[in-house]
This record gives sequence, C-alpha cells and structure tokens, in this order.
Amino acid sequence: MHEDKLEKLLRDTLQQEVSKERHYLDGLEKEIVAELTGQLPKRGWLQTLTRLFAQMQRSRRRQLAVIGITAVIFLFLGIFVSERVPLVRGLFSVYDKQQKATIATNSDEGQLLFVMPAPGAQTVAVVGSFNNWKPILLTDEDKDGIWLTNLPLPPGRYEYAFVVDGRWWGQDPLADEYVRSFGGYNSVRYVGYTGDKI
Amino acid sequence: MYIGSKEEKSSAYHVQDEASLLRASLDGEIEAWGEIVNRYKEAVFGLCLGFLRNHADAEDINHDTFIRAYENLYRYRVEKRFSTWIFTIASNLCRNRLRYRRHHPIAPLPAQMEGGCNPATTIAQEDRQTQIRQGLSRLPYRYRTPITLRYYNDLSYHQIARILSLPEGTVKTHIYRGKALLRQEIGEMEVINHA
Repeated sequence: MHEDKLEKLLRDTLQQEVSKERHYLDGLEKEIVAELTGQLPKRGWLQTLTRLFAQMQRSRRRQLAVIGITAVIFLFLGIFVSERVPLVRGLFSVYDKQQKATIATNSDEGQLLFVMPAPGAQTVAVVGSFNNWKPILLTDEDKDGIWLTNLPLPPGRYEYAFVVDGRWWGQDPLADEYVRSFGGYNSVRYVGYTGDKI
Repeated sequence: MYIGSKEEKSSAYHVQDEASLLRASLDGEIEAWGEIVNRYKEAVFGLCLGFLRNHADAEDINHDTFIRAYENLYRYRVEKRFSTWIFTIASNLCRNRLRYRRHHPIAPLPAQMEGGCNPATTIAQEDRQTQIRQGLSRLPYRYRTPITLRYYNDLSYHQIARILSLPEGTVKTHIYRGKALLRQEIGEMEVINHA
C-alpha cells in the first residue's frame, strides 16, 4: 500500500472511531466541573501545601507571604510547646535561673548556685570536693521540677556531681568543664576567677 | 468586568483564549476549566482510544486526565504548550491502565464498530478501516502510541517525543516500523480474504 494512502486511512479510521463515540463525550465538562466542585473542599492539607509551594515559585509576593506565615506558625508553635512540655519548660527555667545565678554571683562573689532539672524526682543532692563529697540536698520550692541550692564557697576549683534519686549525674550543663572519675564524669566549676568562670 | 450568573460566566468563557482560561482555572474558576475540558475532550479521548483500543478504558482515562490535570494545574508552565502537557498526562495514565490490564484483561475493541454503516463509504473502505482497526489493536504499544499522536492528534515528531519522553529519532523509527507492520498485516488479511 502506498505511504500516503496508508496515512490517510489511519487518519480516517482513528477519526471515525472517535466520531462514533462522540455522544459519550456530551456533557463531560459539566460532569468534571460537578466533580471538581464537590471535590475541592476535600483537598488534603498536604496537597494544599504542595499547591501553595508550587505557586510560590511563580510569585515573589506569594513567596514572602508563605515565608511570613510559616515563621508566625513556628513562633506560635514554639511558644505553645514551651508552655506545655515540661522538659522544654524546664530548660527555659534552667536558663532563667542560670541568668539569675550569674547576676547573683557577679554581684556577690563566692555564692555558687547549683541547678538541676529533675521533674518528678524525690531527692536531688549535690556532692563535691567542697565538703568531702557529702550530699547537700537541693530544694524545689515552687514544684516546677527545677531543684536548686546556693552555696557560699571561697575562691577555688570545685569538682562536683548531682545525685538524683540515688543516681550519679556527673555532667551539669552549667559546668565550666568535665573530668573523668571512676569510670564516670564529674563537673568542675570555678569560684572567684575572672572572665566567664564563676 | 463583573460577570453575574453561572450561565453568563460559562458563555463568557466560550470566547476566552486558552491562556486566560487556564489562569482563571488556576484561580479556582472551575467553569473555566469546564471550557478547557470542552475544547480538549475529543482530542484526549481519541488519544486514549488509540492507545488503549478499549472504549470503557478510554472513557475512564479521558475523565481521569481532566481531573488529574486540574489538580496539578499549578505545575503547568505557561511557556509550554498546554496540549503537550495534557496529552502527556493522558499518555501516562494510559500506560498505567495498560499495566493494570496485563493482570486484569478485558475484551479488546471490536474491529467492526457499531453503527458504522455510513452509506457514503464503500464496502471496500469499510473493510480497509476494519483491517486498520484490527492491525492497530495487534500493534505493540510502543508503535501504536506515536502513530495515534501523529495521525489522530496531528502532532509533530518533536511534540510526540516530549509526550512519550523519547528521543525524536526513536519516535520516527517507531512510527515507521508501526506503519510497516500495519502494511504487512493488511496485506496478509487481504490474502486471507481473497483466498
């Protein structure tokens, strides 16, 4: 069969096939519109987010809006989490108390504040080289899980650790350094030194 | 411009160009998308029917293509041809349906179409068209798809290559081989008929 004849035959056949089925296509647009109208509210959050990010690539204004909205969401989420989750709240409290301790120590040299976050603990003590490793109990007066005590100490280098319900806790986040001892760690803080060491 | 009722809106969409219809669709005007469906439904259906050789599947995929295209319209880049983009979606959906059909086979498209008795066409032409239909149904998918896009959708080799994600040379080869196979099939059938 000649090339042109075959091509014409192919065109005619395919077009005829569709034209015979054309009645199936009547009203398809209405069907699609109806389906999409019903479907739109069902769009998942992931799809919405993907759509939003894809649109971002086209418009600078949308890009800035999305970044702004995301930042605000994360800010509120951060505040919410810090209020609700005890561990995070504890960390914030430790930071606050550390600030207070630093201010207090700077104004009243020789006072050393020991702070240990231990929500739910029964007893928290600090042991150290300043009193031959005898336990000194920390208190949690406001029951927020942050245990503390303030010890008057002469200038010097002190090794210490916390004991939380009988368990050794040698790595205080507020320590100036750590040393290894008996297979574990002890914290070290300095009193009466210049610089950032207490 | 304020356009009031739904009817007024859809009649306004009839005269709009494709780009503004797409922009309106992207902004949530589903009626604008309805007009796009109206303009492309036949072309997409023809492609699906040519690819799948099955009415029910072609109708399904035709429908799914417009739904899928609307849901992913934000991915469409205005600088590209819309027809190429929507044909690519239809082509991918057809491929998926064929994979499904490998495990769930159904009867293929009948060679003699119902209601095909057009008095204007001669019996010989009808025979030829039946042979072409049978030949297309037997043709491997890789040859059938570019042939449909070329001879039904009237696309260039370049567009076909983009839709099928193939090099342009491969598209040309597939069309050439597909036609050769068809010619061979028609020849064989003619021999059988004359015997």
